[in-house]
Amino acid sequence: MFPATWSRLSCKALSSRGLRTQSVLASSGPSDWGKVVSDAEKIVGYPTSFMSLRCLLSDELSNVAMYVRKLIGTQHPLLNTARGYVYDSRSNLQTRGLIVLLLSKAAGPNHAASDLLLQDMVSGIYPSQRNLAEITELIHTAFLVHRGIVDLKGWTDSDGPLKDMEFGNKMAVLSGDFLLANACTGLAQLNNTKVVELISSAIGDVVQGIYSENNSNVEEDGPTDCVDVAAWEERAFLSHGALLAKSCQAAMELAKHDQRSQRLAFKYGKHISLGHKLNSDLQPFVKGDAGEPASFSFSAAPVVFHRQLVGQERWRQQLQQATTLRTQLDYSKLLVSVKSEKGVSSAVDLCCYHGNRALEAIQAFPSSEARSALENIAFAITKF
Amino acid sequence: MACPWLRQCRRWSTNCTSRSLLETLRHFNGRSVPTFSTACLRRTSWSSGPGSEGQPSALRTQLLPKTFTSTTSLPRHTSRLLNPTLQSCCCRQNVHTDVKLKDPFTLAQKDLTNLYDDIRKELFVSREELKSLCDYYFDGKGKAIRPMIVVLMARALNAHSNRAGDLLPGQRTIAMIAEMIHTASLVHDDVIDGSDKRRGKRTINEVWGEKKAILAGDFILSTASIAMARIGDNTVVKVMSQVMEDLVRGEFMQLGSKENENERFKHYLEKTFKKTASLIANSCKAVCVQVTSDPKVHEIAYKYGENVGIAFQLVDDVLDFTSGASHLGKPSAADLKLGLATGPVLFACQQFPELHALIMRRFSSKGDIDQAWQYVLQSDGVEQTKYLAERYCQEAIRQISKLRPSAERDALIRLTEMVLTRDK
Repeated sequence: MFPATWSRLSCKALSSRGLRTQSVLASSGPSDWGKVVSDAEKIVGYPTSFMSLRCLLSDELSNVAMYVRKLIGTQHPLLNTARGYVYDSRSNLQTRGLIVLLLSKAAGPNHAASDLLLQDMVSGIYPSQRNLAEITELIHTAFLVHRGIVDLKGWTDSDGPLKDMEFGNKMAVLSGDFLLANACTGLAQLNNTKVVELISSAIGDVVQGIYSENNSNVEEDGPTDCVDVAAWEERAFLSHGALLAKSCQAAMELAKHDQRSQRLAFKYGKHISLGHKLNSDLQPFVKGDAGEPASFSFSAAPVVFHRQLVGQERWRQQLQQATTLRTQLDYSKLLVSVKSEKGVSSAVDLCCYHGNRALEAIQAFPSSEARSALENIAFAITKF
Repeated sequence: MACPWLRQCRRWSTNCTSRSLLETLRHFNGRSVPTFSTACLRRTSWSSGPGSEGQPSALRTQLLPKTFTSTTSLPRHTSRLLNPTLQSCCCRQNVHTDVKLKDPFTLAQKDLTNLYDDIRKELFVSREELKSLCDYYFDGKGKAIRPMIVVLMARALNAHSNRAGDLLPGQRTIAMIAEMIHTASLVHDDVIDGSDKRRGKRTINEVWGEKKAILAGDFILSTASIAMARIGDNTVVKVMSQVMEDLVRGEFMQLGSKENENERFKHYLEKTFKKTASLIANSCKAVCVQVTSDPKVHEIAYKYGENVGIAFQLVDDVLDFTSGASHLGKPSAADLKLGLATGPVLFACQQFPELHALIMRRFSSKGDIDQAWQYVLQSDGVEQTKYLAERYCQEAIRQISKLRPSAERDALIRLTEMVLTRDK
């Protein structure tokens, strides 16, 4: 089990806000997140997966599904993405869409805007907002797929046949493009060029985020990589926060809510994503010893914090100490070094900070079922 | 087979240039073609082609799949658009300006001078490496044929709608967006096809790897999409986002092939529309909706772009067989190597049914590519594809001729001919 200090830390941060829903806090374990989400799904009427379903059932993607079978037995990442999309409940939760819907509902109808009809709303959400939620999921999925493109230059025969990788790439490019194209036509149907601009810029942000992730992955072989916490946050915002933040803002714009609501929605989306990213980065470090951590990324928040705290020199030493004879890294040894310093607890602190900022943002909306669900989500990401 | 008649047709068309100006002009300016011209045509073509009697109608059924014949309402026998014809027509009828003699490139030049600079400005990104990937193909060395069509169309439409003055800013943006979407799709296509050369340069995937290439393509698209949204017109957004969908659907169509021959041709033309023509057609429409709400004019702009676009790609498919590697900047028969059966092969298959099996296995067996190449050379596949392209150009001219005369409109007419005669 994880050390008690962390749980105290996170609880303290949360209780200091003096908010309710103690029941969510009281229960623990990984089922928490799932429960928060499934409770929240009931509030928004129906889940967000309709456009994704439409895409999944299209000729194009059924083709891809057929072709992806050819990849079974290869190491192409598309296989895992596809598998995860269908089977893995965690990545299939579509929480981005859900949050967009919850915020839409929490902000409520706009009586001032005459062109928006109250009777069009389903469960307190405008149809355009539902479409937006689906578009957000489509874009997110598209980049899950494009993230998994493999560079063929570094591919050697011992890694498996090059042909398989070429084919996997082809499928990944096409299906990612297909999802993006559907997102584009979906955006156009929203009849709001501000929203089109906002979401398009989010796509650009995601690209930049993933691009710099790639670069740092290359660099992490050498110990000279000097990613600091500020750079980490900026990158995490681009690759994980911008899409949700801007989608939340766009949901307000679709209901013609004022600039202030748009800003708050943006904030909520931004801080929730950063908190969520920190939470998942922290997983290998807070999980008990039972699960052997096979490896972790050097660009994970706790490692970045750790390296900044101990300095380049110590980090290099620790890397050397954890390197076995055949220049392989002993990750469990490295894990111990990271855990022994303050990197992990700093990352937990930051996670709580973002959770609290998200809570703050959402307080401006009137109290409602939907707002409580958004609060619960903010609580859940600060729990380990 | 159809070839003797085709050759005859060509011979006729070259001989005929000097004297059939008027008739040709009528073809351009009005949809109704006087019987006179057909009669003249018959005379010429029949007299020197003994034994070819009755073949034109046979050709129509053989040469053109049903899908195509049903969409055209063209005069049957005009086979060629003639440069001299147009020029002399301009001289004769519009003496007030010699701009009309200028080629489309010159006429569009003033609107396109800073196009690539402006695109690079749009692609603003702080990360230097990503920036250089995005700028890679916007080096000013592309033909910029799409932006050229877009600005000429925009000005022709503005003239048609009695709008004086320059392009609307939104129209120029469409020209940029058209080039950006085109480039983004090239970047992705190169990854899909595993190409290592484009326009005489190494491809992005070759230099930086597949992963970064895909991201760069995505980034260019998102930038284009932002620029499109900033025009602030929902119709424009809808029209242009259709392009993105068509592009990817076209790419998917390229994965499969059809067993049935007629189906296959239809599939090919549809794919050609989606992958190439849709961008041109919808860009033309997008500059149109900004100046007029008349759906008839929208249709003219769209149809011109559609027909020119398909013709453009058909010629591209021909050049894949006829042009040397150095010329096109990519190795010839690239399509065959990718397993793709384009116009020339599909036509050749009508003469040499043996090709069918090769097409179905996407030229994957050893020697398939060479064999297919031989069949194409022995057949009229290349000629027939060119002829088909001419037909599409004629339809484009018929459409654009419905607009009021202007230097730009005439340049668009001339452009169809450049599309047909280009050799790279």
